[in-house]
Amino acid sequence: MLVLQAIIEGVLVGGFYALMAAGLTLVFGVMDIVNFAIGALIVLGAYLSYSVCNHLHIDPFLSLLITTPLMTGLGMFIYVFLIKPIKTNRVVMSLLTMFAVATLIEGILDICYNSGFVQIHASYINNSLKIGKLNFPLIYVLSFLLSVFLLGCLFLITYRTKFGRSLRASMQNPVAARLVGIDTDRVSMITLGIGIGLAAIGGMVFGTTNAFNASSSYDIISRLLVIVILGGFGSVGGALVSAIFMLVIQDVVAVVWSPVWGSTTFYMILILVLLVRPQGLFGKKGVRAQ
Amino acid sequence: MHKLRLGSVANRRKVQIGAVLGAAALAVTGLTVPNAIAAGKPITIGISVSLSGDFSGDGVATQQGYKIWAAWQNAHGGILGRPVVLKFLSDASSPTQVVTNYQKFMTADKVDFVLGPYSTKLTKPASNTANRYHYVMLEGIGGGPSVFSRGLKNVFDVSASATYQLVTYAKWLAATQKPQPIAYATMDDPFIQPMVDYARAYLDKKGFTEAVYKVYPAETTDFSPIASAVAATGAKIAILGTMPPDGYAMVQNFIQAKYNPEQLIMASGPDQGADFTKSVGITNTEGLMVPNTWIPTSNYPGNKDMVAAYIKAYGGDINAINADVPEAFAAGQVLAEAVNKIGSTDNKKLQAYLHSGASFTSVQGPVQFAADGQNSGAAPYVFQWQKGVYLPVLPLGGPDKVSPIETMRPDWGTTPGM
Amino acid sequence: MSTDITTSQRPTPPSYEVPKVYRYGALIVGFFALVIFPLVFNNPTISTIGVFAMIFLMAVTGWNIFSGYTGYIALGHAVFFGIGQYATAMLSSYWHINPGMWTFVLIPVSMILAGIAAIPIGFMILRVRKHTFIVLTIALMFIFQLFAYNLRSWTGGSQGLEVGQPGWDGSVFNLPYYYVGLFVAIIAIITSFMIRRSKFGLSLLAIRDDEDRARSLGINTTRSKLIAFIISAVFLGAAGCIYAMFVGSVYPQFSFDPAFDLELSIMAFAGGLGTILGPSLGALIISAAQQYFLISFGGANVFLIVYGALFIVILRLLPGGVVPAISDKWRSHVVRKEQRKLDAEIQGPAEGGAKK
Repeated sequence: MLVLQAIIEGVLVGGFYALMAAGLTLVFGVMDIVNFAIGALIVLGAYLSYSVCNHLHIDPFLSLLITTPLMTGLGMFIYVFLIKPIKTNRVVMSLLTMFAVATLIEGILDICYNSGFVQIHASYINNSLKIGKLNFPLIYVLSFLLSVFLLGCLFLITYRTKFGRSLRASMQNPVAARLVGIDTDRVSMITLGIGIGLAAIGGMVFGTTNAFNASSSYDIISRLLVIVILGGFGSVGGALVSAIFMLVIQDVVAVVWSPVWGSTTFYMILILVLLVRPQGLFGKKGVRAQ
Repeated sequence: MHKLRLGSVANRRKVQIGAVLGAAALAVTGLTVPNAIAAGKPITIGISVSLSGDFSGDGVATQQGYKIWAAWQNAHGGILGRPVVLKFLSDASSPTQVVTNYQKFMTADKVDFVLGPYSTKLTKPASNTANRYHYVMLEGIGGGPSVFSRGLKNVFDVSASATYQLVTYAKWLAATQKPQPIAYATMDDPFIQPMVDYARAYLDKKGFTEAVYKVYPAETTDFSPIASAVAATGAKIAILGTMPPDGYAMVQNFIQAKYNPEQLIMASGPDQGADFTKSVGITNTEGLMVPNTWIPTSNYPGNKDMVAAYIKAYGGDINAINADVPEAFAAGQVLAEAVNKIGSTDNKKLQAYLHSGASFTSVQGPVQFAADGQNSGAAPYVFQWQKGVYLPVLPLGGPDKVSPIETMRPDWGTTPGM
Repeated sequence: MSTDITTSQRPTPPSYEVPKVYRYGALIVGFFALVIFPLVFNNPTISTIGVFAMIFLMAVTGWNIFSGYTGYIALGHAVFFGIGQYATAMLSSYWHINPGMWTFVLIPVSMILAGIAAIPIGFMILRVRKHTFIVLTIALMFIFQLFAYNLRSWTGGSQGLEVGQPGWDGSVFNLPYYYVGLFVAIIAIITSFMIRRSKFGLSLLAIRDDEDRARSLGINTTRSKLIAFIISAVFLGAAGCIYAMFVGSVYPQFSFDPAFDLELSIMAFAGGLGTILGPSLGALIISAAQQYFLISFGGANVFLIVYGALFIVILRLLPGGVVPAISDKWRSHVVRKEQRKLDAEIQGPAEGGAKK
């Protein structure tokens, strides 16, 4: 029963992690950018929701209507002013740039909000649905549904729209995409916007389930990277599957053995998987990897 | 220089008069303005605090505690009649920077004294460095047992040591309750885990069984499996080794799991005042317990002033004061008392005096140092939230009056009579 | 200046590299500056920063031997830094080494242990490339951190371990660490130099430029990468050893620290990834600047903001790093001079120095 409970929790929390990781994997796939600032951006999203909820007294989910566009705008801004000018060695330079952005965000949040821990509130956050002997925390159920919905939208956008076609084209071969007249700059800008907008949503859920302060990002970033790699770069569905896989493994090990070995087990599995499939579970093999 | 002695006499009298207003006013400005009482060449004290990084939450509270202490001390004659000036550097929660910072204090700034940083992890490298330059390191927030097992003679902790903080509760439990299964879960941390482990060892010996014992890594963000594992045992007593953010998450997960232990004590979390009540909701606090080294309403010297100054400077109410504040304040107080006693700023004499078995009083109560530098004079309290008020309930028969302990927590979200 | 175009002999093509005189001159000046540095600035605060700078100097130089030359960005070298630290802490108590000069014996031991650990690790992770490699190295680092937490009986878990501190006087305490650090760092730089100038080094650069082509040209890429990986790990082990001795306590969180890897890569990038001296320059400048910065402005919490902003500015202004920027400047300087000479020649020597 305990194991079953752990599996359910793993699946629900996994959905939430997938939501946080979706933006990362999308940006990865299209732009070859390791968005190292994702942790700081999630915390920023959490703080934005926290402020909006506190000042306007609205539901955290409603606050997303304000925070998501803001963060999307921030993403586009970062692209235009920081990422686009990078000419050489994009992979590493963009990684370092995003790291600098993360530092900057952490510093600003530190000053604006002081360093005390805060948490986002709503009346239903502590509720849970009880089915038989199993327990479904409501906030995780909601965030799971939200993330499945959003990931579904992302899927539709990438596979059913014109923008999606340009996006996939830029992912597969940026040079050829440019040759056939796709404005890859615009595609990249929108992608980074979406990727960081998703961080606003992930941040809201993070803020309701964890007390956080400006330095909380360190706990998130490594796990998200791992989820994205395991799922395969650019694969949003892969991120969902690997996030759930990771959380289930971790939770089950935590319950039957010990929490400290939970993540160790997961990292070991990750290494084993990558040694067999370097492109991750759902990643496409590059034409000529370098 | 004969002014010095006059200063310290004036100092005591002033305590009795209680210059609450002066202290509060000074604390607001956050400055250490020399006034009529404290004059002459300032006494400089160097402190490294973690203003960014992992420990920034507590680092800021630590700095607040020290600042309020300095303002209070200056309103009470300073040290040796001279005003206290604090020098802060941020270490960004990194041991590398702690070493450099204290080096700078001791060799470039040539400060008179140093006080400890936040956390056991940073106190260790800091006290090594201090030892090299024969500086005493008084500290209140770095009491993991490993700090004192190294044979260093210059490090002194004014707070109750980690080892014994939960034992007050364990002793009471063994004395009043039937042996029964207890659920334990603790963070892997050099300060927190020893607290739980010592209580656990004590209770094991008294016939209590372990329903579950889970150690979780410090960077955990998903507490549901740990909470479920504890909840599944249905144990009526749960002892948790938590730090503030995970303490809140753990309570939240217990509520979601509808797990209602009759007694729930957490190493840290319920002592965080408003941060805690806002995060878990005031109606969920009923009956939660936490060990603490400080009683917010106590009459120990300086305590009322400190509380008033804190509220004036940083807002909130008496229960909103982070435990780091009195711990830092106490370290400063003991330093001032000892230095005033020996009448010299010589760190060697200070070290000898602190080792002499002399006793001191701080906002946290009596302080007396054992040979390894731990405070053997402290009796850790246990606090409990009762009807939205944070009250001391243990130890029984101690010097302080305590409220009756509530042994049966109600279900989450229900507070009788509220 | 040596290329006189009017002589009757065939002109030697102008060298676009910074002349040897300048390069070696700067090197020698730099070397002596480092040697006398703690004697001139004998304040222990400065020499503490110096010790940490030396530790980073050898670590970055080591890191660059692998990541700079092969183009494989490793963000998990803290594994070897941590192995060096734990080896030092465990062995110094196991062998009952009295704190003092003898502790330095642990440096070669740590180097060997880090090198040995690098063999299976490198063998495993060097099969993947690009992003996967980066993340695999990060994951490995976390695994080691978790082992340090979980294998309590050896590592002390979250309680960490101690390294005894010698009772030297505070005024000279830092000097042995500084000079030993400088010695190891110079060995690292010489190693890096020799590799860069060797056939082996060329094979590494070929891997960086195009690994598949390098392999098709008959380079045993796996072996080259592995050897470079081991050599770089060895210097990280030494850095960890000196760090543990100097700081005196070892914790999983700080020994296997993701921030450490980022710092290494930032230093290497700021100086010039893949150049011989660029990373060293980056290490000296950034590690010292960072510490100095904190002790100057650390009391206020604007530190992170200033650091982040400054970092973005540097990335924008010097995208290739300091050393490549200097050689670029020199190159354009030479090209301009050539151009002027050519112009002069075309327009006839009588007019001399004519403008276009």
